[in-house]
Amino acid sequence: MELYQYSWLILFAPLFSFAVIIFGTRVWDLLSRPRVAVQEQHEGDAHADAHTDVHTDVHTDVHTDAHAVEAQGAHGEDHEEHGPGEADDEDPKVPQLTMGAKASGYVAIAIMALACLYSWILLLSSAGVFGPSALPAGGIPLFHYDWLVQGAASYTISFHLDNLGIAMMVVVTTVSLLVQFYSQGYMENSAGYARFFSYLSLFAFSMLVIVFAENFLVMFVGWELVGLSSYLLIGFWINKRAKPAEDRLSPATAAIEAFIANRVGDVGFMIGIMILFVNTGTFQFSELATKVQSMDKGLLTLAMILVFCGAIGKSAQVPLHVWLPPAMEGPTPVSALIHAATMVAAGVYMVARTFPLFAAAGPAAFQVVAWVGGITAIFAALCALTQTDFKRVLAFSTISQLGYMFVGLGVAGSAYGPGPGMFHLFTHAFFKALLFLGAGSVLHALHHAMHREVQDMRLMGGLAKFMPITAGTWLIATLSISGFPFFAGFYSKDTIISLAFKNGYYGLWAITLLTAGLTAFYMLRAFILAFGGKGGDFGGLWGGPYRGTGEPHESPATITIPLILLAIASVIAGYWTGFFSYIQPGAPDLSIAEVITSPITWLGVVVALAGFAWAYTLYCRVGMERVHQVVESNAVLLFLYNLTLHKFYTDDLYDLLIRYVVFGISHVELAFDAYVVDGLVNGVARLVMTAGRDLRYVETGKVQSYMAAFFGGIAILIAVVFVLVSFVK
Amino acid sequence: MGLTLNHYLVLGAVLFSIGLYGALAKRNAVAVLMGIEIMLNAVNITLVAFSFYDQVSQYKTYLTGQIFAIFIITVAAAEAAVALAMIIAIYRKRSTVDVGEIDIMKW
Repeated sequence: MELYQYSWLILFAPLFSFAVIIFGTRVWDLLSRPRVAVQEQHEGDAHADAHTDVHTDVHTDVHTDAHAVEAQGAHGEDHEEHGPGEADDEDPKVPQLTMGAKASGYVAIAIMALACLYSWILLLSSAGVFGPSALPAGGIPLFHYDWLVQGAASYTISFHLDNLGIAMMVVVTTVSLLVQFYSQGYMENSAGYARFFSYLSLFAFSMLVIVFAENFLVMFVGWELVGLSSYLLIGFWINKRAKPAEDRLSPATAAIEAFIANRVGDVGFMIGIMILFVNTGTFQFSELATKVQSMDKGLLTLAMILVFCGAIGKSAQVPLHVWLPPAMEGPTPVSALIHAATMVAAGVYMVARTFPLFAAAGPAAFQVVAWVGGITAIFAALCALTQTDFKRVLAFSTISQLGYMFVGLGVAGSAYGPGPGMFHLFTHAFFKALLFLGAGSVLHALHHAMHREVQDMRLMGGLAKFMPITAGTWLIATLSISGFPFFAGFYSKDTIISLAFKNGYYGLWAITLLTAGLTAFYMLRAFILAFGGKGGDFGGLWGGPYRGTGEPHESPATITIPLILLAIASVIAGYWTGFFSYIQPGAPDLSIAEVITSPITWLGVVVALAGFAWAYTLYCRVGMERVHQVVESNAVLLFLYNLTLHKFYTDDLYDLLIRYVVFGISHVELAFDAYVVDGLVNGVARLVMTAGRDLRYVETGKVQSYMAAFFGGIAILIAVVFVLVSFVK
Repeated sequence: MGLTLNHYLVLGAVLFSIGLYGALAKRNAVAVLMGIEIMLNAVNITLVAFSFYDQVSQYKTYLTGQIFAIFIITVAAAEAAVALAMIIAIYRKRSTVDVGEIDIMKW
């Protein structure tokens, strides 16, 4: 039990490294500040000092700021090999990292490695592989503090640990560790390296707050912290400009979009929590599970659908999916973290955590979850079909896979519990992190080859020849996400599809089956466009004509090691057959024999293979250029192509909606505020002022008139009293 | 028939009204002051009369009203001294004691 009692260390490890980096770099910054005026110094020295300032990004005074600006100017001159036109397009680059920056990276990685190790020990121990004992069914409390007690209602900060939390914790710490390790190579030339690692640590901490949360209040705090961290990290390259030609926003705009889209969902989340709190008087998940039984069913269903709105926002489900594709503007390791472990997984985890509440509500609650997931899955898969931006394909595939998870949560029923949805989250975390980190490796290589940022797959092709490790691991992830037999994604995705069939959701079954085929198509398409092409080996799958310029190289070991580790996990994660009963005791286990012999499984495999075959035929046999010619010349195909390329015009629809409806309402509200509210306030003030201005003439300054008024008043009073006394008896 | 309380009260009321008229209608500050003095003394008469014809008290030595009157006379003397000093000061400053013209404490 002691093993579990100290698991809060995992929660605070990233917070600790965040604090160490923030304060450490500040001290470093102060210590390395030049003792004499900058102008008198040797150019080289000024340069070195200025770098420290750029890294730590903590400018307190004008003096330091002037420093940073000078440093950036100097960099532009230093880096002629990066080509002209880049300086105004990208964030400042640094030729090499200072010791302080490197050290902050090492601190973050070392602490995260310990946390990751500990969480794996917890996982293996609680799953019964070794160690003292399994956790009790309800989990154990770790920390409890009454933050505010108001009569019967108490607002508590409490953390707990159970199997669901451990499974999620393993995902978070593992992916965070690998992403941080990877970032050493990926971010080596980026200014603000130390800041980047501090944000990554903060992100991991925020997610762990959600994982450990024992009530809605703490979960909401973590929920918002995740929103903040994602905002900071998506907008990390704050000076980068938008690229309208590629339909790409600037990172700053994308960060704001992500933040605001999440706020929309959070409104529902908050109202849902409030409804639950008002009716049951508690935020605690364990107490809610019993107390909601006596709640009105309809109201509870409404509350749970509102709570699910938060998950729609956080997990980028239709109709709040719009923030996730632009969020690709952040550094690629951040995308991996957001998509695999921290940000979007929070929504799925929240629904899994509140699964008993959804189960207590009417069936409509689960149906909403499942159908939103199903619609999102196929919608995003359709959008992903024609995207040309390498990372954007992955963004839509994440949205689609999250849809699968919600389908899994919605159709599972109480026999399976949240297991199937969480299982897909678990396997998806590994192969999606692998896909993103592999994509980052490609972008890194192309950046060095072409000296500019390239994400367009039409400028890739045949990269397998140049970077075999990235291509090989990417292929594994592609097969895994497409549900190719015996990879991790096969088991988790098939479980969801066959559960939809078994539990009678035939519409959702058809949707998820079709989506599996689409997934296979767009993933293999992306793979062929990037790594293969017509004329390569194995019929065009491996290598082929390279459409870009320069000579890409395989990425350094800091980048390829995480890829290899994740590739292994992407295969073996599916073989944890006891996952369902681990999450919910008593749930039936995953039976590989049953999966392999079930005809529904093989139907899914056939659909996926059809998707593969389609992609192979179009992009390996026919060739990308020819496909584009055919699409351009056919009006119907071109219409469909444009429809999916522009995401069914949802962005434009929202743009119109916000521009005319929301801004219109804003104008009405502005008018109401200006004329009614301000009018009322100003009117009262004007009345008082007018009255004062006019009534002051009563004050004549003549003492006799005051006296006359005084005695006149007394006379009237006496008269009144006299009348009252005489006549009113 | 002798003097009753009502005679004194009527006298006090008449004196008070005369004093009030003087205080309100006279333009000379000294006359206003004299009006105020008459009002004070009208009240004194009333107080002393009530004290003398006190029917409630069992003892003739119940002298509250008379002591009150002495206090008022004392305070009135002090007030007259201060008021006259002020009138002199105002006259030196503005060469007038017309209360209609002494009106600088207005809007």
